[in-house]
Amino acid sequence: MSSFVVVEQAGKTFPLAGGKEYIALKGIDLEIAKGEYISLIGHSGCGKSTLLNMIAGLDTTTEGVVTLEGQYIRKPGPEKMVVFQNYSLLPWLTVHDNVALAVDEVLGKLPPKEREEVIKHYIHMVGLDHALDKLPTQLSGGMKQRVAIARALAVRPKLLLLDEPFGALDALTRGNLQEKLIAICEETQTTAVMVTHDVDEAVFMSDRIVMLTNGPASNIGGILTVDIPRPRHRLEVIKHPSYYSLRSEILYFLNQQKRVKKLRARKVAVVPRHGLEKVNLELGFVPLTACAPLAIAQEKGFFQKHGLDEVNLVRETSWRGIADGLQYGYLDGAQMPSGMPMWLTLGGLGKNLSTVTALTMTRNGNAITLSRKLYDSGVYSLSDFARYLKETPEKHRMGVVHPASMHNLLLRYWLASGGIDPDRDVELKIIPPAQMVVDLKAGSIDGFCVGEPWNFRAASEGAGFTIATDREIWDGHPGKVLGVREDWAIAYPNTHIALVKAILEACVYCADPNHAQEVAELIARKEFVGTKREYIQLGSSDLNACNLETPMREYAHHLFYGTNINRPSRTEHLWQAAQMARWGDVPFPRNWVEVAERVCQVGVFSTAAREIGLSEITYGKGAIHLFDGATFSADNPIEYLQNLQIERNFTLAEIPLAVR
Amino acid sequence: MAVSYRNGKNNSNPLLKFWQERRGDILPPLVGVLLFLAVWQLIVAIGLIRLPGPYQIWEDQRARNLILYPFYDRGGLDKGLALQTFASLTRVAMGYGLAAVVGIALGILVGLQPLANKMLDPIFQFLRMVAPLAWVPIALVALQQNQPAAIFVIFITSVWPILINTAEGVRQIPQDYINVRRVLRLSTRRFFTKILFPSALPYIFTGLRIAIGLAWLAIIAAEIVMSGIVGIGFFIWDAYQQNYVSEIIVAVFYIGSVGLLLDRGMALLQRWIVPEK
Repeated sequence: MSSFVVVEQAGKTFPLAGGKEYIALKGIDLEIAKGEYISLIGHSGCGKSTLLNMIAGLDTTTEGVVTLEGQYIRKPGPEKMVVFQNYSLLPWLTVHDNVALAVDEVLGKLPPKEREEVIKHYIHMVGLDHALDKLPTQLSGGMKQRVAIARALAVRPKLLLLDEPFGALDALTRGNLQEKLIAICEETQTTAVMVTHDVDEAVFMSDRIVMLTNGPASNIGGILTVDIPRPRHRLEVIKHPSYYSLRSEILYFLNQQKRVKKLRARKVAVVPRHGLEKVNLELGFVPLTACAPLAIAQEKGFFQKHGLDEVNLVRETSWRGIADGLQYGYLDGAQMPSGMPMWLTLGGLGKNLSTVTALTMTRNGNAITLSRKLYDSGVYSLSDFARYLKETPEKHRMGVVHPASMHNLLLRYWLASGGIDPDRDVELKIIPPAQMVVDLKAGSIDGFCVGEPWNFRAASEGAGFTIATDREIWDGHPGKVLGVREDWAIAYPNTHIALVKAILEACVYCADPNHAQEVAELIARKEFVGTKREYIQLGSSDLNACNLETPMREYAHHLFYGTNINRPSRTEHLWQAAQMARWGDVPFPRNWVEVAERVCQVGVFSTAAREIGLSEITYGKGAIHLFDGATFSADNPIEYLQNLQIERNFTLAEIPLAVR
Repeated sequence: MAVSYRNGKNNSNPLLKFWQERRGDILPPLVGVLLFLAVWQLIVAIGLIRLPGPYQIWEDQRARNLILYPFYDRGGLDKGLALQTFASLTRVAMGYGLAAVVGIALGILVGLQPLANKMLDPIFQFLRMVAPLAWVPIALVALQQNQPAAIFVIFITSVWPILINTAEGVRQIPQDYINVRRVLRLSTRRFFTKILFPSALPYIFTGLRIAIGLAWLAIIAAEIVMSGIVGIGFFIWDAYQQNYVSEIIVAVFYIGSVGLLLDRGMALLQRWIVPEK
């Protein structure tokens, strides 16, 4: 990509009264290629307009540099033409004269006749021939902005900068003008940067969307590439499979920023009580049957019983929300996919966030579902599926909930064992659990691997069928764990033990078949899973639950408590680290013995279990046996990785450990 | 077959029509003036003040001559009031014109350059507070002649509101327009003609309108002190010396009328050049 505009480590600091200063932007890195259309999106006051003004040269950077074609941008000029939010037309000049002012100044070398043609051409382009001699006060908002766009384009800028160009327009005008502008930009191959707060506008118009975090010291929180082909038309764009995922990605980001802002404003005091360092906890969970232990601990008073008076369960829609909650510190702990503590520790978020687990809350409860279309095409087994993929050249997509979740690892393992490369032969997409069935019905995915109740629901609604349950792949695999940050665990050791005790007791409660009815009714409620009671299957004995026509598969059983169930296992976490490294997601730790020791807080679990009189539950330290006959032992994971058939090139890295 | 009807009102006398439409605007001020004259006459009649009443002024031969023959010219200082007023107005025109040119130019400079503003503002604020009459002796000493001194006094009195309002107008140019200038790299000439003047014009006119009133006030004050020149200010002073009180009152009437006309004229000009939005 040839860089046309480069923003490098740019920052902006405003002096405040009293000698203080406000850091508006910090460490902005952005490269824009020629012909690209870039959107800057973020909450009000996040500095997106400041960034735009720095590129325009209207504002100077206090740190770093901004260049256009290798030249430093120090002052504004017509090659970086700006379209302002409030149009900035001169009210005493007619439409023609407003455009003429720019053209005469910038293209003054052209003979007057040619200049006149340029003016007329661009006014015609925005469809305002009839308003040539009108004053801006006689025009509507949309028409004024069209004049401003004509004026900007008429000087033939290298770079077009738009500051919320459609912000003040009504929805209908905005839509029309967006289409118009996008058509002009496509036609003239103009490079453009646009500030907006409208998510749909950003997706519709941009090649890439730059999301800015909240100030102070805003920076780029993420850049999305919009893979929707051009030329774009509104009605076609909203039908594109990427449209809604991009849209929800941006909304998620903006929402996340709002929560971070709220958290900063809240300044939570740590409330110590009953000899515990902190009794006010925010615990994250995702609506799944597997959230039962947390729901029960809350509803049955196990948290209070162990002194945790102010526990608040926070319902997140995706695992990503959980990871971010931990990252930004607004969650104390969370229900997590079992691979997530290792994934965070190994740098899944792009940095090492040491995370530990002292309790495995559930096992099993997951399954792989394929769509009804595949069933009708005769796909009944893994080998059928492999054959089907070879025969149908189009792209097949499958949904998983998070890179670190067991669903991803199991699905990949299952596919790879059937000779299917999970990255090349299919495309795996991250989709929140509750959205899987909707996507399956819509046909945007061909299958998924997810926790209950969603497999059961897909089958019940006739959208898909369970081709394999986790019991067939790895019976008794770890499902969800309780994860906390390592620094949190170090700061609040007694709270951590109390938390494990409370949830462990809840696990015991959930595992009792006499409570199954009660538990199922509780988690079906809106504040937890929010689904029909019939979809919640715990330790179901109904083996026929998941199929389309005839009994085909055994149903997935959740395991909440028992021998070999709740104690965290180093071997398992290493297996997951190895699988994540196998697919190139994170490096495998060179110091894997220490890392596994850290991530699995066996000591905390043992203390908690002993204190509530459950010291008899143990864990067998054997190797892991999977359905394909392969075994994994914690003795030599690197050799295991080297002997795999289908894999990406894995890397090794030394993982820094926190100093206690 | 169609019969066309004419509206009855259209047929009537246009003068009558005008009267019907504008009656509300014409009658009250007329009544007000008449009431004022009556009260004045009354106060004089009961001896509350020792001025002649309206009737006495009309009776006074000299005063009646002044009213009836505004354009007589017997040479020297003995001229009709219209000519006296015209002489004063000429001075005002020169002083005021100079003030407008200097005030607008300096105002733009001060408005555009914060440094110039910082340097000059205290001086302006200091000079602005000096009363017009205090300038008269300085002007006479410095310029040695009545005519330039009078013009200078008018200039120095009326320049401040023009200058300050112009500077404010320039400072108030919306940032959007400044950004347009910066982005397009407009030449100074285009910036002045296309952005600065149109944008600051309402402010400049406010300054000009305040200044014209001040200039007219100042010329009377200045001429009273400057003996031996043709002008309505000195005419009053001269009449006072000779105790022609009725003449003074007629002259004051002229002064007031001219002041009113100047202000209204300026307002008209303002409305014509800077149409209200």
